[in-house]
Amino acid sequence: MNSRVFQIGILLAMTATNSHAQEALSDDKYVPREEYEQLKEQFDALKAEVDKLKTTGQPQKPRPDDTVKTPTTEYQLTEQERRSRDQVISDIVENWQLNQASLADSSKFLIAGYATAGFTDQEGEDSNFSAKLVPVFLWKLNDRLLFEGEVEFELENVNGASETEVNLEYANVSYLLNDYITLGAGKFLTPFGLFGERLHPAWINKLPDAPLPYGSGGLAPMSSVGFYMRGGVAVEETKFNYAFYVSNGPNLNTATATKAGTLIFDNYEDINNNKAIGGRVGVLPVPEMELGYSFQVARVAPDGFERVDAVIMGVDFSYVRYIDALGGIVDFRAEWVFSDVENATFDPAGSLGFGPLTFDNKRHGGYVQLAYRPSKNSSEILRRLEFVTRWDMIELPSGAPDETDEQRLTFGLNYWLAPSTVVKAAYRLGNKENNAEDQNAFFLQAAVGF
Amino acid sequence: MHRRFLIPTIVLVLAGVLAIGVSGCSVRAPGQGITPQDGSVLQAPVPVPKEGAEVWADNCMRCHNIRPLTSYSDAQWEVVVHHMRVRANLTAVEHKAIVEFLKGAN
Ligand code: HEC
Repeated sequence: MNSRVFQIGILLAMTATNSHAQEALSDDKYVPREEYEQLKEQFDALKAEVDKLKTTGQPQKPRPDDTVKTPTTEYQLTEQERRSRDQVISDIVENWQLNQASLADSSKFLIAGYATAGFTDQEGEDSNFSAKLVPVFLWKLNDRLLFEGEVEFELENVNGASETEVNLEYANVSYLLNDYITLGAGKFLTPFGLFGERLHPAWINKLPDAPLPYGSGGLAPMSSVGFYMRGGVAVEETKFNYAFYVSNGPNLNTATATKAGTLIFDNYEDINNNKAIGGRVGVLPVPEMELGYSFQVARVAPDGFERVDAVIMGVDFSYVRYIDALGGIVDFRAEWVFSDVENATFDPAGSLGFGPLTFDNKRHGGYVQLAYRPSKNSSEILRRLEFVTRWDMIELPSGAPDETDEQRLTFGLNYWLAPSTVVKAAYRLGNKENNAEDQNAFFLQAAVGF
Repeated sequence: MHRRFLIPTIVLVLAGVLAIGVSGCSVRAPGQGITPQDGSVLQAPVPVPKEGAEVWADNCMRCHNIRPLTSYSDAQWEVVVHHMRVRANLTAVEHKAIVEFLKGAN
């Protein structure tokens, strides 16, 4: 069978080549006699082969009119040919089925995520290597439903023992209700500002660390448990987008001497019945520029404590664009977070040893970051380089136990090996208000988004 | 508040404003945004139908570098863009245009 197919292939190829030759000659409209004869011969041979195939390829069941149609010179396949033909067919079918199956699988499921390896050397602290693996599981259940889940594996030192810490960063299901509304529920990255939801993955973040208003001790939520509604709409050239949510909301720290008055955002089990409501609205007057406003209101004190409401607000600005005059991409981000927690008296009876303590519980912090990558430079090395600088700060209420206003200025140099693979080096000049010593730090980080 | 960071901050803000100013003057050539951020070292320029390509370029480099068109199969791009529609609050029209473009270009 194989050799037969091969023969036919050659014949077809020859005919094809010849027909090209004919085309080339078509100017003078005529072909020499020999060529015509040769072609005719080939054509007849091909026709005979096709006829033969037709009959042998027929279903085995005899049909009433078979007698009429089957040419008397039917070619009989030998037993061996028949077997190898069947083998080829079943191989093809099997392969096709396998392909279909794997296609069906991949159309639903995708593993993405990122990994990092880092080195930090900060004044006043021991230098340290670190590593992180953060797989993202995406499951498109159908055209409307999507599951996204992210797990973070991180090396940690807990009480002197090395451990691998596992965190469920998010796990939620979203449903595209219509063109403008998507609904979802579960644990999700909080749509507040830019960094938490959009910039924190290490292959996206242009510096190895998080800016002050975010991360541990930060002012803004990074993830929330609850449900959300979000979407976007375009009005002529201007685009608007929104994301609103109801979640467990943050907890007020009332019992720890050094942290009284701060908000704990990792709240997987609410401490009261009042949920947090929050969201962000963004507007893009042109595609490369976005302005955003975020808010969250929540009742944050645990049951049994006096009533305390917290209002957090944020403003953000992004501008990302290739600029011809600079021969590269400019990425400018700025955001500010304002946290206003109602005044309360902590440890009112003094039984915890640090009260009664009260202060005006308002905080704010933000950052301004500028990055430039000469993506059109003639030198490949320069094209892969990116220069980053960020200034960030946080200001805490005077009288608060953790009051240490902080300002930092970071310079970073990144080398992009691929669009989501980068090696970053950064030097951070840091300064805490109440600390005579500087907190300068040097960072190295390799990040791969996959 | 410390004064020592005042000058760097002003410089940083000015640089940002300047960058935006400069870009305001430079005319936006059609499709210019589709230049991959890796400076096209890792991927040949692809001839693409304009509209889907522009929607893709306008949206997909806002938060992170654009990944090569060949990084994923059609089916995988569908999952990715669905994911990004939710994350970036894209409109249904953008979602569709980008999926079509990516399927035609990978
Ligand atoms: C609003 C910011 C934003 C925009 C706009 C955006 N992305 Fe993303 N993208 C992200 C973030 C954040 C992640 C990382 C997801 C995570 O790790 O949680 C990501 C991840 C990805 C990934 C890795 C796989 C995955 O789905 O996690 C790909 C591929 C990707 N984006 C492609 C695109 C494309 C194509 C577009 C244009 C439609 C786009 N992105 C627009 C923020 C954005």
